Amino acid sequence: MTDLANSIAADMSVRRKRRPRRGSRTERRFAYLFVLPALLLVLVFRIIPLFWGFLLSLTDSDGINPAEFIGAGNYVTMANDPVFRDSMVNTLLLLASLPIWIMVPMLLAILIHQGVPGGKLFRAVYFFPAVLSSVIVGSIFNVLLRYDGSVNAFLKSFGFSAVDWLGSSSTALGTLIGVQLWATFGMSLLIFLAGLSTVPKDMLEAARLDGAKLWQTWWYIVIPALRPIIEFVAVVTTIGVLTSMFGLIYVLTAGGPGTATTLPEFLIWLEQGKMNRPGYAAALSMVLFVLMGGIAWLQIRIMQRNANL
Amino acid sequence: MAAAGRKEKRALWVIAIPMAILALSCVYPVFFAINNALKSNKGYILDRFGVVTEPTFDNFTQAWTRSNLSEYFLNSVIVTVGAVALLLVVSSLAGFALASLRFPYRKFIFVVILASLMIPVQVVLVPFYQTIINLGLLNTHAGLIISYTAFFLPFSVYLMTAFYSGLPRELIEAARIDGAKLLQVWWHVMLPMGKPALITLGILNTLYCWNDVLISLLVLQSDRTLMVGIAALRGEYTTNVPLLSAGIVLAAAPIVIIYIIFQRQIVSGIAVGAVKG
Repeated sequence: MTDLANSIAADMSVRRKRRPRRGSRTERRFAYLFVLPALLLVLVFRIIPLFWGFLLSLTDSDGINPAEFIGAGNYVTMANDPVFRDSMVNTLLLLASLPIWIMVPMLLAILIHQGVPGGKLFRAVYFFPAVLSSVIVGSIFNVLLRYDGSVNAFLKSFGFSAVDWLGSSSTALGTLIGVQLWATFGMSLLIFLAGLSTVPKDMLEAARLDGAKLWQTWWYIVIPALRPIIEFVAVVTTIGVLTSMFGLIYVLTAGGPGTATTLPEFLIWLEQGKMNRPGYAAALSMVLFVLMGGIAWLQIRIMQRNANL
Repeated sequence: MAAAGRKEKRALWVIAIPMAILALSCVYPVFFAINNALKSNKGYILDRFGVVTEPTFDNFTQAWTRSNLSEYFLNSVIVTVGAVALLLVVSSLAGFALASLRFPYRKFIFVVILASLMIPVQVVLVPFYQTIINLGLLNTHAGLIISYTAFFLPFSVYLMTAFYSGLPRELIEAARIDGAKLLQVWWHVMLPMGKPALITLGILNTLYCWNDVLISLLVLQSDRTLMVGIAALRGEYTTNVPLLSAGIVLAAAPIVIIYIIFQRQIVSGIAVGAVKG
């Protein structure tokens, strides 16, 4: 398979040398025509708004009166805004839980790959919650996690006392993270399984013949071979927790109690709509952008490497 | 995989038990929703956790008609079908050009499209909303279709480019020697050849569009998509769990059916993001 790929690649490089790099005029014209819709959509709805948003963040825009330039005013307000500070603390707590988000699916993937009885079924079932909308997941868990809900009834049957999962500010964020983890670990698990299929089998066989224990093969062969996949999952998960928890917060906690589950993306939405402070919301957006920009850049580098362009 | 020893095999069986419990937890909420959707409100209050004894479909009819879910359902179908169709056309055209045609700034354009991955909707919430208003797209299905396309596009373009760059160039050369125009090459060669990738993208984007809340909340304010409708239903009927459950079952059903039918394509589509397929 690799031989075939190599010979094709060699073939192509020879041909590239023979033909002009820029292509004929019609080829160029059509090429631009073909990428134009994609480029235009991305420019109009994402890239231009990003710069526009930065300008807006320097104004006191309230959606009604003409906006005035106030320089870094919004950023100063932000530094003194307790809600913003809480949302940053919540973000840090969320990011601190990342090792769990990576290790749980990795461990399960290795076990399935290792041939746990029922592995194929587990794979299909574990991924199932990931296809459900966060609204569906949130609405169901909202009932399950009520004080008199199934989860507490289950705990009580084992003699534990009931917990106010979503109503108490000490447990709400942990519960939210738990639900999101439950809903998405299957996604990372699939990525790990795909990566595991590339771990050289003969190397494992050889190690086993030399008397290596199962866990030793994990530690010395499987996990090092998975390194690029771990990187990828780490990046994707980080972006995921920073930008795809809106739906869950929206139906499960609405950011509360107090600010216990207010994350930046939810705060931006609140300030934009309910508080009607577009200028301030735009400034919050910039902070979120800087926060995830570096991480996303890593992801693009990985994707670009994989696309072989 | 290397054969596990007898002791290790036993260990794997022991590990399978907590894994099975985790698997049960993944399907329990669905059982919970279906079970409660079939209870009457009184039946639910009397026995909240038991298996339904006298199933009734009243909740489904009530959610479908009186709570407007039928209307929301139609909205969701329109925008999902529209956005997925647009996504497939736009991304396969761009993928064709980026992978198989030669033109200046090709790499740069590819990077620009990928770079927009760094700009999720939350980061441009205010100016994006303004753009939608300025273009007269607020509260229109077309507006939501275009918005979904803009926000789910980069991964699709990436996948189509990666897929097409794996195809032999002879295909295009041969078609062009026959005198075909590039648009015809796209239609007659690239679209049929790209079918595996297009099917995967079609399914994944259907999930994303159907499940979205935030973009829909912004663009379609006077009307609702199904997910926004369910969120509202949850607020209005906190005490009527059976009715809410019926709404949840109706909203999740299409996705669950798609998952069961296309499980293989979904799984390989996810994997392709990590390890180029």
